[in-house]
Amino acid sequence: MYNFITGPLLWITFIIFFGGLTVRVVLYIRGLDWRLDRVAYRKYPALGIKGALSSIFHWLIPFGSHGWRAKPLYTIIFFIFHIGLVVTPLFLVGHAIILKERWGIDWPTIPMLLADALTIGVMVTAVFIAIRRIGLPEVRILTTAYDYFLLVLTVLPFFSGFMAAHQFGDYVFWNYTHILSGMALLIAIPFTKLFHVVGYFLSRAQLGMDFGIKRAYKAKGGFAW
Amino acid sequence: MPEGILCNRTPINTKEQLDAVLADKGGKQYYQEMEHLDVDVEKLQKTLQDTCKSRIRTWLEMCAHCGLCADSCFFYLANKKDPTQVPSYKIITTLGKIIEKNGNVDTAHMIKCMDTAWGKCTCCNRCGSFCPYGIDMGVMFSYLRGLCFSQGFVPWEMKIGSGMHRVFRAQMDVTPEDWVETCEWMVEEQQDEWPGLEIPVDKEGADILYTVNAREPKHYPEDIAEAAILFHIAGENWTVPSIGWEQTSLTMFAGDWEGCKMQVQTVFDAIERLKPKRVLGTECGHAHRGTVVEGPYWVGREDGRPPVPYIHYVEWLAEALRTGKIKIDPDKRIKVPVTLQDSCNYVRNHGLKDVTREIMSYIVEPGYFIEMYPNKEYNFCCGGGGGLNGIGRYRQWRNTGMKVKRDQIIATGAKLVIAPCHNCWDAIRDLEEVYEIGIKWSFLKPLIIKMAIIPDHLKPQEEEEE
Repeated sequence: MYNFITGPLLWITFIIFFGGLTVRVVLYIRGLDWRLDRVAYRKYPALGIKGALSSIFHWLIPFGSHGWRAKPLYTIIFFIFHIGLVVTPLFLVGHAIILKERWGIDWPTIPMLLADALTIGVMVTAVFIAIRRIGLPEVRILTTAYDYFLLVLTVLPFFSGFMAAHQFGDYVFWNYTHILSGMALLIAIPFTKLFHVVGYFLSRAQLGMDFGIKRAYKAKGGFAW
Repeated sequence: MPEGILCNRTPINTKEQLDAVLADKGGKQYYQEMEHLDVDVEKLQKTLQDTCKSRIRTWLEMCAHCGLCADSCFFYLANKKDPTQVPSYKIITTLGKIIEKNGNVDTAHMIKCMDTAWGKCTCCNRCGSFCPYGIDMGVMFSYLRGLCFSQGFVPWEMKIGSGMHRVFRAQMDVTPEDWVETCEWMVEEQQDEWPGLEIPVDKEGADILYTVNAREPKHYPEDIAEAAILFHIAGENWTVPSIGWEQTSLTMFAGDWEGCKMQVQTVFDAIERLKPKRVLGTECGHAHRGTVVEGPYWVGREDGRPPVPYIHYVEWLAEALRTGKIKIDPDKRIKVPVTLQDSCNYVRNHGLKDVTREIMSYIVEPGYFIEMYPNKEYNFCCGGGGGLNGIGRYRQWRNTGMKVKRDQIIATGAKLVIAPCHNCWDAIRDLEEVYEIGIKWSFLKPLIIKMAIIPDHLKPQEEEEE
């Protein structure tokens, strides 16, 4: 069972995850239309690239944009959540060991203590995000059950991984839960709003090009994100 | 599929149709007919298939429902943070539903879309600069207006505005003859004070081709005279076209995509015909957006730019002041607290934030210019943009929305608001009328004329002889 899950099933998961995301990126770019979007994407490559990078960069760093600076508390919560989500699984010692054992790849890792802190950060900020959805009328009106489902789907691999790593409760149960929920998350990404793992870059790049090429090329330094 | 006599899916293309809709004062019958106007679902589906591509679909799909756009919207703030005014909510429940149901929506939904797209959004695009994903709801509302227009669900005044452009190639019933006569009349009127003043019509190869807002010949002809006087003082080699003089685009506000193209093509044809070195537009925000920023795309120009450089009045004025073509008498500079209204259409949406401030540095006594907060790209809409000023159905909503601008102005302590944009100028005038905060408002042209140093050779002869 374990061999099947971490063998063929894992491969299928990766194929769906990477394949799905690739298809989405291709479809998104192919669906851009200079005439309908009213952005001369191809005519001004330098302005376009500059605009895209500036748009991505300012929103990628904490307090890097007017928008982030307008909401400092949310910004902190948001970045703790996302940094934990990305860094922990990629550089976890436990995951690196698997890479080493299976394929002999030496993969960089972060200390366990940091991984724990990041994981706790993900879980705690997820609770804050849920409370925010309930507490703020302007967020509540937008929130659907689907938003909570995605939040649970995202946090479950972290929670179960944390339980398994620290041998709280039934290790076998939590370990299976961790692996399966992690796979479910990866498979869900290309088909849900979680597609934003690449969609963020695409969408920000598009608007950045819009401003770089058309709506802010007259501003010194481009649009002041 | 019943369509009304006045309210229907066919745009106004003749003077007779236009007169019929105009005769229905306030659109009483028009809106009654709208209640029974069916949605042509097949046509809507076809439009969606042809025009709604990955950008908008991805925006709607990916929206994280985080609500960070809420505080960016002046309607949300002015309506005591009413959650139904959150930009994301407004677009999801209107355009979002149309796309989700692939066009299978009813009349009531289309009316809701109309009321939201024109009455709760001015397409100022401020929300787009506060979304972490870069989702620009102003762009989507502008698109939704196009869907509404194609189905006949468009505010009465916007239907008329689009019809005006289609019949007169101007947002008001001003014919080329009316226009040229108005120019001649203004020249005559000014001869005593400005001997030798000219408004050259259809001169080929001029340095500047000047285009205006139809409101100027129709209601504010002195604006044209002021422009002529300033060109005269600056010694510019300029001209106006007899056809293609109208730069505005109520077709843009109306969502009349076909009409947008017709209007811009008329202006670009004048450019091709008269071959000026560059074109200059009046102090109007949406005219600039419609003809200079979006216009080239409507007529299919792959470079996304007008045929020759096409600048806004503030760019020319800053240049004229910078190069000394127009000199300001230091004693006549503005000495009352003054603030500046950044127009969404050429500041947030075309980056012209520095030239207006450069102009302030020449015309305001140091210490008297006070910035609004927020400002530049992040300034709030005047409250009347996107055509909202002109729509009776949403007058109360607009007046409520203007509270944000009112409070911004009060916070500066300014007694004068400089608004180099027709829409902003109107909204601020109405704001003063509704809320009486004791301010004056002005375009740049009349202010500059009062403080410019007039070269001796331009002064009336008798004065010199005396």
